[in-house]
Amino acid sequence: MAATFFGEVVKAPCRAGTEDEEEEDEGRRETPEDREVRQQLARKREVRLLRRQTKTSLEVSLLEKYPCSKFIIAIGNNAVAFLSSFVMNSGVWEEVGCAKLWNEWCRTTDTIHLSSTEAFCVFYHLKSNPSVFGSCPRKNMQITILTCRHVTDYKTSESTGSLPSPFLKALKTQNFKDPVCCPLLEQPNIVHDLPAAVLSYCQVWKIPAILYLCYTDVMKLDLITVEAFKPILSTRSLKGLVKNIPQSTELLKKLMTTNEIQSNIYT
Amino acid sequence: MASRYDRAITVFSPDGHLFQVEYAQEAVKKGSTAVGIRGANIVVLGVEKKSVAKLQDERTVRKICALDDHVCMAFAGLTADARVVINRARVECQSHRLTVEDPVTVEYITRFIATLKQKYTQSNGRRPFGISALIVGFDDDGIPRLYQTDPSGTYHAWKANAIGRSAKTVREFLEKNYTEDAIASDNEAIKLAIKALLEVVQSGGKNIELAVIRRNQALKMFSAKEVELHVTEIEKEKEEAEKKKSKKSV
Repeated sequence: MAATFFGEVVKAPCRAGTEDEEEEDEGRRETPEDREVRQQLARKREVRLLRRQTKTSLEVSLLEKYPCSKFIIAIGNNAVAFLSSFVMNSGVWEEVGCAKLWNEWCRTTDTIHLSSTEAFCVFYHLKSNPSVFGSCPRKNMQITILTCRHVTDYKTSESTGSLPSPFLKALKTQNFKDPVCCPLLEQPNIVHDLPAAVLSYCQVWKIPAILYLCYTDVMKLDLITVEAFKPILSTRSLKGLVKNIPQSTELLKKLMTTNEIQSNIYT
Repeated sequence: MASRYDRAITVFSPDGHLFQVEYAQEAVKKGSTAVGIRGANIVVLGVEKKSVAKLQDERTVRKICALDDHVCMAFAGLTADARVVINRARVECQSHRLTVEDPVTVEYITRFIATLKQKYTQSNGRRPFGISALIVGFDDDGIPRLYQTDPSGTYHAWKANAIGRSAKTVREFLEKNYTEDAIASDNEAIKLAIKALLEVVQSGGKNIELAVIRRNQALKMFSAKEVELHVTEIEKEKEEAEKKKSKKSV
């Protein structure tokens, strides 16, 4: 470690190898207790798929019973709000199951009794048209991913102040042939985390998939950010799933007011 | 690259950025929207009120503050930073009155606030103030003024401007709708401010707070009822305009 002139502590790169090498060899012998703790931790961190509102696990074979043509995944609170108010508001969606997981970042320590509100991800399917749901790669399936990112992550030669945020960018796999309702994501921007994982999986398995990424300067639940997703309503992915737009807007406003977080730091 | 040059305020990056100042501008965007309009005989400040917690006393959550009898400001960004800046500005206004026996000009107090902010961008161990301010008022010569400052310490005079969340949307609305007709009368200027805020305010008129200063008059804060009256008027006008449009197309 080295401290720079301005008080910033930086790990100095060393080409002779790390200083701790010798000590590591000595401490490497693992006791049975260590192994037990490690196994317990691994069990705690398993991802579990559960049937709706119950503790029984959702068998993968059960999921294969549902043929799927469209899979829509929303990541982040603004994308989820858009999906809940515009898509799930039209038509009856039935909750099929949920995925729960735990890792050291979670605030609860009790892993067995996680309530349904703490589910990491909930799966729904359209009652009138059960083909809209699924989890396994199938023929004729199309995947749509919605997510948000802060506008400061957007790399461009213009200054971020002049960008018309929020704005929508898209990234699609090779097999996706439908027209896209917004400009494609330019280089050198990259996609991170779960959306990137889903897109990579789809590209490898040749599934047509498209990611709609909304760059916004308000990461918490915000009406203008959610409305930036509206152009997607006219695409083939969501057409037919959305019926009542004015009612959806009202529902969205209600969601905003119920979910407003009180914070006095910023006024 | 940004991560190596953005920890200390006094370090320029190789391409000339002061990252801490730019990050402070992001902090401003976390505050709710404030809009300022300079009319012919009136200056208007409108802000989006954040909803107050149930047990919180509403009077203590203020975005519009008087600096002196003839100058007031609205801010967006870190609440605590704003409190410090406002206190310093208020003391300076009174000190100026006693020393020079004249009230401050709007430009003078804006320059004072901007210089204070700039000092904090050049001092080691301190961070910039995370607020932008809209300062309005009338000078002795009777001319209305509107200035805006930002965390870097720059200040400019504006005819109309907005700061805080979605400021860009509001500014674009103002660029389209700020005309000589729109600010011809006091009432029209007030309505323009409310219309601009309604573009981005999430729950309508009840979350808007308004303050005006008229020539040779003290600062006036509008009550919720008065704001509602203006909002209803605006909605009526909108409806009538839409009816006319549909009649024309038929």
